[in-house]
Amino acid sequence: MYRQGDVLLVPAAEDAVPPHVKDRQGEPRDARGRLVLALGEVTGHAHAVPSRGRLVREPGPWGPLLLELPEGGRLVHEEHAPIALPKGWYRVVRQREYVPGAYRVVAD
Amino acid sequence: MNDTLPVDKWRAVAAATGPADRASAEEGVRLAYRLAGLPEPQEIRWADSPREAVELVKELTDQGRSVRDEVRTRPWADERRRVHDELGPGGWTAHWSATGAMLWDTTRALADRIRDGVTDGPEPDRARLVLLDAVLGQHDAAWLAAFDGRGDRLAGLAAVAEHAGWWWPYERVAVVCERPVELHRDEAGRLDRGDGPALAFADGFALYAWRGMPVPSDFPDELAALTPERIRAERNAELRRVMLEFYGYERYLAESNAQPVHRDETGVLWRIALADDEDVAMVEVVNSTPEPDGTYRTYWLRVPPETRTARQGVAWTFGLQPEEYRPLVET
Repeated sequence: MYRQGDVLLVPAAEDAVPPHVKDRQGEPRDARGRLVLALGEVTGHAHAVPSRGRLVREPGPWGPLLLELPEGGRLVHEEHAPIALPKGWYRVVRQREYVPGAYRVVAD
Repeated sequence: MNDTLPVDKWRAVAAATGPADRASAEEGVRLAYRLAGLPEPQEIRWADSPREAVELVKELTDQGRSVRDEVRTRPWADERRRVHDELGPGGWTAHWSATGAMLWDTTRALADRIRDGVTDGPEPDRARLVLLDAVLGQHDAAWLAAFDGRGDRLAGLAAVAEHAGWWWPYERVAVVCERPVELHRDEAGRLDRGDGPALAFADGFALYAWRGMPVPSDFPDELAALTPERIRAERNAELRRVMLEFYGYERYLAESNAQPVHRDETGVLWRIALADDEDVAMVEVVNSTPEPDGTYRTYWLRVPPETRTARQGVAWTFGLQPEEYRPLVET
């Protein structure tokens, strides 16, 4: 697994990814042609993948986001060093913080 | 980033502060009426904040009926239907994800907080009724981003939003608000300020918040004078949490002589016992990418009180079991 700040990418075995996820249309890319995994609302800084691939939004145990990189790729962010990613499927996990009675997502 | 993109432009509109461009906003109001097939309003009146606007509307006697439906709701619904038909259901969903959806949560939350602030006063029910007639101007940015560049039908609404705050269209009178003079938000887009109002308008209408949580207006003064004793004495758990965050966990830990509970390769686990409340458990983790000055930023994340090891705490922040958390690369 690969961690860039508050985002963790957990590799998922190809045969474990449900067929309905593989059939889903991917999320649109941003203006710079990147797949945006997480966006800082105020700064506009993003954990993003400029590479060929697909980002699928999937609520439930596999979601909320799955990333497919058929040729491998690169995870970039304005404030973190880039990470080279081997080809395959990944679950995208956002870091969270505990607050009594609930929890909230961390944003960097 | 290419700042001519609609979503970026509207992100800036939603967060704009400072004096309205009254001439352009008024031209937008008149255009919106004309596009709705209505005569222009005879009078346009200005207010410094939504609260003042609600008071002003309450005092109006011959404004005529609300024309919000004709001016905003119907053209909007028509545009949505038109774009939806043009793009198809999947295309519309993709278009919305790339435009309005990116602004929706934060602007809606902000508008909700302003509404709560306006109704938190005398005659709340009356204020609520007046608010039903409001067009949200700059805070309609999400929808306007989705329709930007797809026709001129909403040009009047867009012009008001770009140049002013909330507004109230009535048959004979339009009431338009200035934008806030202060708006402070955190990375997640939540209202956030420790040394003054997070949102303030020129007439003094203001909202105080820390990382999105509403706090009393005298709270910033209190934050400036915090001591560990004052924090321990605070009975309201939410305010105490805010105090702890503002004071700094690290400083609080040092001054209360807290001891690390556990340490491993993922970080350090700390614990503070609080009277009449669950323990505060925190993991101290170090950012793996150096700052420009070569130092590494340490940060603190609160984790569930039953956490026993640093690894368990860090794994929890990603929804994983301690044995599952094995990052190969961290930056």
